[in-house]
Amino acid sequence: MGKHPAPLPGDRRYCRNHMWCKATDDGYRFGFTAYAVRLMQDVYFLEWSVDAGAAVAARQPIGFLESSKAQSELYAPLAGTVLRFNPSLLNDPSAINVDGYNAGWLFDLSGDPVGTLDVHEYRDFLTAGWEHTQRLLKKQVHETEDE
Amino acid sequence: MARKLTVVLSQAPGKHPAKRGLEESVAAALLVEPGVELAVVPNLYDLGPDHTGRLFLDAVRGDMVVISWLYPRAAFWLLDRNGIKGHYGETALKPPADDDEEETDTDTPVEKKETIGPAGTIPDRHIYTLDFRDAKSPGPFVDEVRRILAECKSRHEAKASSPPPALLELGLPAKSPIEPGLAAFSPDQLLADAGRRWYPVIDYSRCTNCLECLDFCLFGVYGVDDHDRIVTENQDQCKKGCPACSRVCPEQAIIFPEYKSAAIAGANDGVVGGLKIDLSKLFGGDAGDAITAAVAERDRELVADGRQAVGATIGIPKRQEGRDHKPKDELDKLADSLDDLGV
Repeated sequence: MGKHPAPLPGDRRYCRNHMWCKATDDGYRFGFTAYAVRLMQDVYFLEWSVDAGAAVAARQPIGFLESSKAQSELYAPLAGTVLRFNPSLLNDPSAINVDGYNAGWLFDLSGDPVGTLDVHEYRDFLTAGWEHTQRLLKKQVHETEDE
Repeated sequence: MARKLTVVLSQAPGKHPAKRGLEESVAAALLVEPGVELAVVPNLYDLGPDHTGRLFLDAVRGDMVVISWLYPRAAFWLLDRNGIKGHYGETALKPPADDDEEETDTDTPVEKKETIGPAGTIPDRHIYTLDFRDAKSPGPFVDEVRRILAECKSRHEAKASSPPPALLELGLPAKSPIEPGLAAFSPDQLLADAGRRWYPVIDYSRCTNCLECLDFCLFGVYGVDDHDRIVTENQDQCKKGCPACSRVCPEQAIIFPEYKSAAIAGANDGVVGGLKIDLSKLFGGDAGDAITAAVAERDRELVADGRQAVGATIGIPKRQEGRDHKPKDELDKLADSLDDLGV
């Protein structure tokens, strides 16, 4: 799977949308995995379309980001209530790249972390999905219809 | 003719520092440009009918350049929908890495199907819509404004030297109407906060009036005018973030200028330059075909409104209907044999 190692700490769980998930005092904290950061490269714009306190459904669009190589809608990894967004990212999202597993966390969410994966499962998920991911990316380079 | 060229800069929504920086440097460069009258308005798409910026745009009679963060096609039809009409000015400013794309002439499109086309009288002026995303520095914008200025000047000179074709002038507003000019609008009013809006913009050079959007949208956004032509009747009943009708449109004529995906935001077909890879599907977005996505989006909005989700039971185009009655051709047979293999 690619040439670059993507470190995955074993002290947390992982989501299929390439976020990590770690229990906090009042819920779970989420951020991008090294794999996601590797795909995006330098993130320079991040905005949230819901406010802290909002109830969100799993896979509901909650924000948007743009990086040097990519752009993406961001989706809630699970159903719950958004407790807070990382305030330090709002003016400068570079911590996502510099320290994605700690200072570059994205948001805290309360909810049931159903469907999250442990580090081994996530690694298997990445390996299994790599062919598909490459196809998805290469397809976009060749055609612009992205719907 | 000493007519000035009006250049309107439409700001990006939000406070993206890189975007604001480019806007300011383009404005600074054009401010000292001879023959140019410069105005800055908030995001064109957000301007309601009563906003001063919109009143100013209404008042401009001559040739106009609008530089916005919207695709040229989106900006042009957005203005047209708001009654700010003109001929489509072809810009030489193209997205990077677009050199070998074929030019499409929007003035005389080669139509396979009959489209609605521009409605009403088109005044004798050109509107050029430039996209801020097509260059990273002010230089290319200034060069393009200069080129347009020269193009408009020679067009007017050519017109002045030949006798006016009488028929074309019928029904047009009187010549040299008194323009209030930019001085009549204070910069503060022009830049008053416009709030955010969300509604579809129909590209009438593509729309065939098939009315599938009217059938599909259950929020009463669409209607028809006196001539049974599709119009966005109630813009503000549209659901923020929902581009479902655009996915349903068979001609890709419905533009949501602020939607994140280029095809829906009004990029021309085949425009690759400046586009970025969209990771939305990897990061949890819905995968699947356009109709499925549209149905899911519509259901989400219906439920948010306290209504029942309808799934695919209402307003789904039946483009495959009747196919079975035709005799099978070679391709069908091939597809059937593949099905039989069970792969």
